[in-house]
Amino acid sequence: MSTSLPPSTHPHADVIHRLEAGGSMLPDTPENLMQIIGIYKAYAVPMDFYWRDLLYIGERVFLQPLPFFKYFLSKKYLDRHNTYSGDRSSLRIWRGRGEAHPELTEFIDQGASGRRWPRLLHHLGHDRINMEFAEACMRSMFWHEDINPKFNAYLYTEEYKTAADKAIKAYFKGNIAMLGLYKLFPEMFLEQVRQASYYANLGLFWEVMAPVFFEMSDIYDEGGFKGVPDAMDFLVNGIFAVAGRPIYHHVYVGDECFAIIPKSAGFTWLYEAALPYVEAIFYRTTPFRGTKSYDAQLNQVPRDQADFHYGILYADVFPVGSAGIPPTLLMHDMLRFLPPYLEDYYQQHCRGEDDQLIQLGITFQRSMYNVTSAVIQALRAALYYPLDDPNPEHLLANRQFFEQQMDRLTRPEARLRDIQVSDYR
Amino acid sequence: MATIVDIAIDNPGFETLVAAVKAADLVETLQGHGPFTVFAPNDDAFAKLPPNTVNNLVQNPPQLARILAYHVVAGRWTSAQLADTSELISLEGSPIPIRCHSPLEVKNASVIAADIEASNGIVHVIDTVILMG
Amino acid sequence: MMLTLLIGLPLLGALAILLFPATKAKLVALWGAGIPLLWNIWLFSQFDLGNSSFQWGESAAWLPVLGLNYELGIDGLGLLMVALNTLLTWIAIYSARPDVERPRLFYSLMLMTSSVISGAFLAQNFLLFFLFYEACLIPLYLLINIWGGERRSYAATKFLIYTAISGALILVGGFGLLWLGGAEDFSYAALAETNLSLQWQVLLLVPFAIGFGIKVPMVPLHTWLPDTYVAASTPVAIMLGGVLAKLGTYGLLRFGFSLLPDGWAVIAPWIAIWAAMTIIYCAFLAIVQRDIKRMVAYSSVSHMGYVLLGTAAGNDLSLSGCIAQMVAHGLVLAILFNLVGLIEAKVGSRELDQLNGLMNPVRGLPFVSATLLLGAMSSAGIPGLVSFAAEFAVFQGSYRVFPWQALVGIVGTGLTAVYFVILLNRTCFGRLDNQRAYFPKVSFNEKAPALVLVIVIIALGVQPNWLFRWSEPTAIQAIEIVPGTQTVTLEDMGDLLLGDASSATPLLD
Repeated sequence: MSTSLPPSTHPHADVIHRLEAGGSMLPDTPENLMQIIGIYKAYAVPMDFYWRDLLYIGERVFLQPLPFFKYFLSKKYLDRHNTYSGDRSSLRIWRGRGEAHPELTEFIDQGASGRRWPRLLHHLGHDRINMEFAEACMRSMFWHEDINPKFNAYLYTEEYKTAADKAIKAYFKGNIAMLGLYKLFPEMFLEQVRQASYYANLGLFWEVMAPVFFEMSDIYDEGGFKGVPDAMDFLVNGIFAVAGRPIYHHVYVGDECFAIIPKSAGFTWLYEAALPYVEAIFYRTTPFRGTKSYDAQLNQVPRDQADFHYGILYADVFPVGSAGIPPTLLMHDMLRFLPPYLEDYYQQHCRGEDDQLIQLGITFQRSMYNVTSAVIQALRAALYYPLDDPNPEHLLANRQFFEQQMDRLTRPEARLRDIQVSDYR
Repeated sequence: MATIVDIAIDNPGFETLVAAVKAADLVETLQGHGPFTVFAPNDDAFAKLPPNTVNNLVQNPPQLARILAYHVVAGRWTSAQLADTSELISLEGSPIPIRCHSPLEVKNASVIAADIEASNGIVHVIDTVILMG
Repeated sequence: MMLTLLIGLPLLGALAILLFPATKAKLVALWGAGIPLLWNIWLFSQFDLGNSSFQWGESAAWLPVLGLNYELGIDGLGLLMVALNTLLTWIAIYSARPDVERPRLFYSLMLMTSSVISGAFLAQNFLLFFLFYEACLIPLYLLINIWGGERRSYAATKFLIYTAISGALILVGGFGLLWLGGAEDFSYAALAETNLSLQWQVLLLVPFAIGFGIKVPMVPLHTWLPDTYVAASTPVAIMLGGVLAKLGTYGLLRFGFSLLPDGWAVIAPWIAIWAAMTIIYCAFLAIVQRDIKRMVAYSSVSHMGYVLLGTAAGNDLSLSGCIAQMVAHGLVLAILFNLVGLIEAKVGSRELDQLNGLMNPVRGLPFVSATLLLGAMSSAGIPGLVSFAAEFAVFQGSYRVFPWQALVGIVGTGLTAVYFVILLNRTCFGRLDNQRAYFPKVSFNEKAPALVLVIVIIALGVQPNWLFRWSEPTAIQAIEIVPGTQTVTLEDMGDLLLGDASSATPLLD
């Protein structure tokens, strides 16, 4: 604890002091711990699908002009082994299995309805994982291009274009119409390839997060975590462990592999996926249609993309339920995989089953404040100083870093104040 | 005079760094003309990182090379020259802030042995692995 | 006995409640209201549509010296009014909060009110009517004063004073009829045979018009109403607005229009102007309200103006319309008060400034919002809902006689849309406020009254004939008495109103 520093005068001073003591932005209560771990578990199952399908789309569906079946994940991708989890992993960091989680495979077979209908019927009846959410996240990262400068610059290099060109020609081999279109509008195709690269990027990011969340749930079930900071520290360690994982984009045409972004390009999980993800999804995203009307002429939408603040840390979860809004889709996904203790918990509050969707949305918001705390603490450890550093100037630098981070959460939409109390649900 | 790589190999306390440079295939580069300024994290610095972090990086040479390249700056920057600088651009491309001049601190690392001359540059030993961002 | 049961059953229910423990009070009360309702439904099946005079007459001597006899009878108008009363009593009791204080007394008084109001609609003797008319003040006064909201004792006293004056004026009118007309007693049949000169008729209409005008109420005699409705709890407000107000228009129809036809023909244009004024003035008052219950209260007054307009016009179409409007008004007002009460109970506010986003599907009150929307649409005369047919008939009928007054009334319908759009836009739409939106769940039991009313509102809207057929003979019979009225418009109306001549034909039978 920074005994040598005077108390902060920041509006979020209480939170800053907690961070300086090694805590999370989320208060350390057993109730919060139970909620966030439960929701990580509920999040991990659909995420296990998201990353597989994102990679499937990025690597296999690729430029399919009419990708009707892009959400119909092949057996191969369901059985694909996680790079850091499962016994076939070359560097096993997490103890879970490599293939798709059993709850996920069961859900894909039967849906929530428990009927073994053909997959197309499940799909049309929306009895499936809402991949649209994952795609909305991907697009958000793609659109906020300034937050990932190195990766983004690479998408415009000659190297990238040459590799993409090869892959496009191989993919549409013998398809005169598409090749003709490519000749006429090469940029259009390249832009699609760039989007596919972001599919791969996000897929590789979530490939790491899914086993992390599964393991957190397992540890909690075994009585492992003592409090919210423990859960945060587990995330911090996870972030460090895989920080150097390569981010790449491979496309498969038949058995041939085209390395559109090779691993040798040197892109890393932390810098080219995790941090841009947090910035794009937790902070910025885009104003979702349907939750609220915005008038751009009245500057209700910021002129500068960097000032966007529509992410989960700011989200108004209450309007959930309107059709087609990406956060609702995620909550709908998580609803199906809630652990029993969380279901019981929601039954006891507000309107019980009727507004579970909102209750879990707010739990999710809490849990993402914890993930953001983990990112902030990881950055503090990587770029600044230990919390127990004896040098007061170092502590001051830490303080300034935390204050800088909290500045972003002083705008009225931020829910940091709300999550400090348990009544916000 | 010995090259940067030789200095690292000859002195105790840089085993991890040497292994990393070899794994990242940077030996040849650092034996080249240069001149380079290298901020060399010692073994204790690497030990501060979680073990999986290093293992994972060793398995992925291009990514490891990038982290290591962040510790290298073009030109021969002595500690005296660094005292007048607030920021250097690393070979990785990201800036390295010089936050404190006495004692010399490079980003969040402290220089524990400065100005070790090599034939193709200069080495400063630091106590923490520095990271971009 | 058939009609006495309608009065006696709720009264028995009121007594039965006192025998049961307080926890059972609501259940017993629901039976006490439900059995008369079922009995009433059965009466519909027995009602002779071809007979335009009073049916199932009952008569027993009581105080012949005073001309007071226990005489009951029913025609189409009475049947609909009693049906409205029994239905809304059940709805009102169902709408009561489960945690109401002193439940046994509360439900007893509710059933007594219902019983007495039924009595007033069934009476065939002026003095008997008057006794019932006055008797209903006692339970209502207590209901407002004990279970009301803010300023309840002020409201209850104001209500008592106004309606007592109303009663006194009506009594004056009634005695005037007896003495000046030389009738042998107060029975309607006897009173109808009197033959008063035109001057006397007009003169007697004055106390009747003012007395019933207070009850309806008409501008400027309406000032007791917003205070009373707002102070009253939801079930009491439903009884007041849904049923009690109908006693005013019912009285004007029975005693003014039917018993003093020549005088009525003279003052009808003025009554129509008065009605138009009430419609417009109260619509504007509704627009400026900030409290949704008050808004609904003013809306209620404004819509009672249509009934009076139809009565003034006095042809078969406008009379059918005005009887239908009495029912429609009762149904719509009941659903609106029920929903406003639910909103207040859940959200804790009735202020337009504080309500927002209740349409939110998960955390708002989506069912309440949707039914509120439907109720408002019906009130604004949207086709397919019960008020449309009624209001259309009123306007169609009265336009022939009093075009300007009818046109002003139609403007009032437009204003209805204005204030209900304000109400809906502020309360149901927009963004739900995170700080406040922890409303308790609306249980099925709480939804049930609105659900029943929605079904009735839609059913009678799609098939208005189910409403019009009962009052049709009464309306035709009524106009035969009044000189100078027209019986031309029904055939024109059939197609316009329903777009389907077949369903309109029973109107002409």
